Amino acid sequence: MTASPTVTATTRIAAPPEAVFPYFTDPALIVTWLGDQANLDPRPGGVFAVDIGTSPARGTYLSVEPPTRVVFTWGLPGNETMPTGSTTVEVLLIPDDDGTVVSLTHHDLPAEHRPGHQEGWDTFIGALPAAVTHH
Amino acid sequence: MPRSEQPASASTPDAVLKALADPHRRQILRLVQHRELAAGQIAAQFPLTQQAISLHISVLRKAGLLAERRDGTRRLYSLRHEALDPVRSLLAEFWPDALARLKTAVERAHQTKETRQP
Repeated sequence: MTASPTVTATTRIAAPPEAVFPYFTDPALIVTWLGDQANLDPRPGGVFAVDIGTSPARGTYLSVEPPTRVVFTWGLPGNETMPTGSTTVEVLLIPDDDGTVVSLTHHDLPAEHRPGHQEGWDTFIGALPAAVTHH
Repeated sequence: MPRSEQPASASTPDAVLKALADPHRRQILRLVQHRELAAGQIAAQFPLTQQAISLHISVLRKAGLLAERRDGTRRLYSLRHEALDPVRSLLAEFWPDALARLKTAVERAHQTKETRQP
């Protein structure tokens, strides 16, 4: 378990997980809902790159388990708050009758304000890319 | 204008991200994340002019990342931990919107497919 802040989102889709899963792994399908251009190599260690407007989201797939689970890292190159690969997105596709409940959790976000807890900022600032901080 | 010494306007994600996109400014935030420091104490840690440090402090203040407190003639600076909230809020709004688009895209494609089946 991590103490870092998370963001969660869920939705129910009237289609089985098998129909939903490719929307997280197929470049032509992912751009129908996330971003404008994508370069995806859906296997552990493979590239996850989606351009969302002027923000390039960059990371790698950590886990690809069709049709129920996909995990990838997420960051914005040149954006020191959330460098490439610095956060993790976990997606669960849960069968629900003839549909799918999609549960998305974005882990390891930059720390929010937590009174009495400063480790979030320590972690965040400490995790800045060595290449940048040592120059 | 609020009487408070905090920045008048809520910091935007863009302002926060831009303020953080500089190694000197990030180093300043590290210095003041657990304690208050005067501008001179901050400047002493850098091979930069006091003027350059003042500019960095100004950018950080405008982004809401630094709080300023007057102590006599000195101005003391400390990190405002809550300044990252807007960045987090951005994502908190981003994903539900994205999943709503996913739902629309999948259901449209799935219905079309089912309609085509005999």
